[in-house]
Amino acid sequence: MVRGRTLANRLLLTSALLALTVGCGFLGWMRQPRELRTNPPVLADLSRFRLMSNGIGGAPPESYFAEAEPYENDAYNLSQGKRLYTWFGCAACHGDGRGAAGPSFLDGWWLYGPEMVSIVASIRDGRPHGMPAFRDRMTIEQIWQLAGYVQTIGAYSAKVAATGRNDGPQTRPSENRAPAVMLFEEGPVGVNPDQGPSP
Amino acid sequence: MTPLDNVADLRDTDLNDVELDRRLASTWATPKGVWGALSTVDHKIIGRRYIITAFVFLALGGILSLAMRLQLAQPEARFIGPDRYNQIFTMHGTNMMFLFAVPVMEAMAVYLVPLMVGTRNIAFPRLNAFSYWMYLAGGLLLWIAFAIDTGPDVGWFADVPLSGPQYAAGKRADIWAQMITFTEVSALAVAVELVVTVFKQRAPGMSLDQIPLFVWSMLVTSFLIIMAMPAIMIASTALILDRLVGTQFFNPAEGGDVLLWQHLFWFFGHPEVYIIFLPAVGMVSTIVATFTRRPVFGYLGMVMALIATGILAFGLWVHHMFVAGLPRLGESFFTASSMAIAIPSGLQIFCWLATIWAGRPVFKTPFLFVIGFMVIFVIGGMTGVMVASVPFDTQVHDTYFVVAHFHYVLVGGAVFPLLGAIYYWFPKITGRMMNETIGRWAFGLIFTGFNLTFFPMHILGLQGMPRRIYTYQPEMPWSGLNMFVSLSAVILAAGFLLFFIDAIRSALSGPVAPANPWCASTLEWATSSPPPAYNFSRMPVVGSLEPLVDNSGALPVASGLFVDRRELVVTSVVGALPEARESSPGDSIWPLWSALATTVLLIWSIFTPWAVVWGSVPLAIALTGWFWPKGTKEDDA
Repeated sequence: MVRGRTLANRLLLTSALLALTVGCGFLGWMRQPRELRTNPPVLADLSRFRLMSNGIGGAPPESYFAEAEPYENDAYNLSQGKRLYTWFGCAACHGDGRGAAGPSFLDGWWLYGPEMVSIVASIRDGRPHGMPAFRDRMTIEQIWQLAGYVQTIGAYSAKVAATGRNDGPQTRPSENRAPAVMLFEEGPVGVNPDQGPSP
Repeated sequence: MTPLDNVADLRDTDLNDVELDRRLASTWATPKGVWGALSTVDHKIIGRRYIITAFVFLALGGILSLAMRLQLAQPEARFIGPDRYNQIFTMHGTNMMFLFAVPVMEAMAVYLVPLMVGTRNIAFPRLNAFSYWMYLAGGLLLWIAFAIDTGPDVGWFADVPLSGPQYAAGKRADIWAQMITFTEVSALAVAVELVVTVFKQRAPGMSLDQIPLFVWSMLVTSFLIIMAMPAIMIASTALILDRLVGTQFFNPAEGGDVLLWQHLFWFFGHPEVYIIFLPAVGMVSTIVATFTRRPVFGYLGMVMALIATGILAFGLWVHHMFVAGLPRLGESFFTASSMAIAIPSGLQIFCWLATIWAGRPVFKTPFLFVIGFMVIFVIGGMTGVMVASVPFDTQVHDTYFVVAHFHYVLVGGAVFPLLGAIYYWFPKITGRMMNETIGRWAFGLIFTGFNLTFFPMHILGLQGMPRRIYTYQPEMPWSGLNMFVSLSAVILAAGFLLFFIDAIRSALSGPVAPANPWCASTLEWATSSPPPAYNFSRMPVVGSLEPLVDNSGALPVASGLFVDRRELVVTSVVGALPEARESSPGDSIWPLWSALATTVLLIWSIFTPWAVVWGSVPLAIALTGWFWPKGTKEDDA
């Protein structure tokens, strides 16, 4: 009888655990899943960021914060950005991030500041001295994804959500290794390479 | 070896039965309460936990498969999106292979092998406790990750480059790879325990030609685990390194190799099939012998077939890679070896048929499941020979034909024998009988439901329906059969539901079972149901393959063991001649702490390589506590 009762207790415990797991699963089901196709109103809002009049810095749309800054914190969006970096030929001027004809992303020196809106504006509207506008070639979501990736290349510190290395020749440390960090520790003065004419 | 200057000589030789049982119980019993439950090293308690946990994972994996069937029932269904579907089919396969099939077979062995060889506990009982906690932690890691939408989505074999740093964003593939580490550590631990238990702790007189076939099958399986699992641990570790610290194991541009992953994975992955199947062979042999009232025909042939399967299992992994672009000679070689595996499997089937032919079969539920196994497994084996041929495999690769094939082999080859084994050993484990009527209904529903669900998948595959698709267009000729399959899956699920209800109900209020309800012949039935903490009051001595049949009056026993400490008999490998009295470790909480420290290290190391450095500190502390000499008599040899 005693044995029966302990067995009953165990089974009760097991079914409680089972219920807990199913409950967890249900919560996960309810949670926002990885978005392969973003909500159209949220997408439309992405264009409505405000830029300072000098084109440096500004405020992203409210919905961007409501969505927990997905283009900076979500590994899927960052990896999409990395693909766009290749597909849209960014490497032609910026190389593997070290820069060539265009400025470097790796040295931690941002001509227009490191904020997302600045980078998004640079890609969407173009910049003087050769940066073309991509507003007619990419969707606004793709621009945000690419901007998130570009920001990661020169991140000040390692991020949990970062793209890994490519299956290709390795010319520099991968993004999740925080390549810019070492340069910053030495101070921005000594390592700042020639960026060409200033804007 | 033990000092003999005790005040009273506390050996079992001169104690009467009541006094003996009282003293053994106080030495071996697990203390009550939470602390006792967390620190127990009793192989029966741990084995029972293992079995229940594995069946919980079976139920969860089954729910996932129903979700997939709901999505596929009609074209262009909107029940599950593509991203979630990727996670679900990956979770289903990973969960069923790594958290259900392998652990449940080892769990049955953890419970049964020490009883079948007539010893008091498994070898390395604390390692056994550790292995269970590791298994539980790995299972929780996978399922909690899935619950928060971080479940792996790269398929259960996680081929690179899809699972590599470039294409698998986020931590999903890392969760998969680290879950592998958890389950492999626990599987390797159990394998080592089983090998030592079978080789060194058999009852005196139980020479190698007299051990039960289930024990043989677990011995071969354990060697398979020991040789196959390191390959996948290397592969999954290399994958994590590639993803986290930028090594180049699988990057061809830097001298790595994409095919290396497939070779390492399938060098483990194919023996894995036999790690699941061989214990089932042992279960089938045991059940057939009991329910035909005669020993299995061709014991030596059966053992040789087990060993031959075990060796051949390592020679055919490449048949999973026929479309990966390999040299023709390699493909021919692996076609031949894949077909050769049908020889030992066929031998086993014919031995069972001969046993049934010559015996007086009693058609109880466990035996029904065995018959279901034979029908389904033979069909699975036939399609196996078909896909072993390269031209055919090239046609059906990655279609539902393969899905049908491996469900026939795995569900037919392992789940049916397992369900039979549960019905068979349930009275031994719980002390209560399961319901025969419900059992027959459960068998009927599962057998019918299984065939109606999976046989049409052969046809779907031949019609070109690919695996892993989350939906299909209405123009495809697949919708009718898919609806049929989904409806049949409901029958299958109803059968399993009935089984679970029967198991829970019988455990609570089934009729009390006698010590040997099936009139079986092996040693586990010589003790009470359920067995006491010390398994046997006196150590049995064995002189034949069927000790309970050949000694129908009383089983001869050995004496001379101390009863005031945990002691068991160590015997020689071949002849099982008594060699020494050996102490068996007592309860300890340190395996739990060690497993917790390992869990922290492994999960942390998904995020930073420094976890291996700092995480090793608590692990070192826990292991030091585990192995710290306690100065008690139990530490004496």
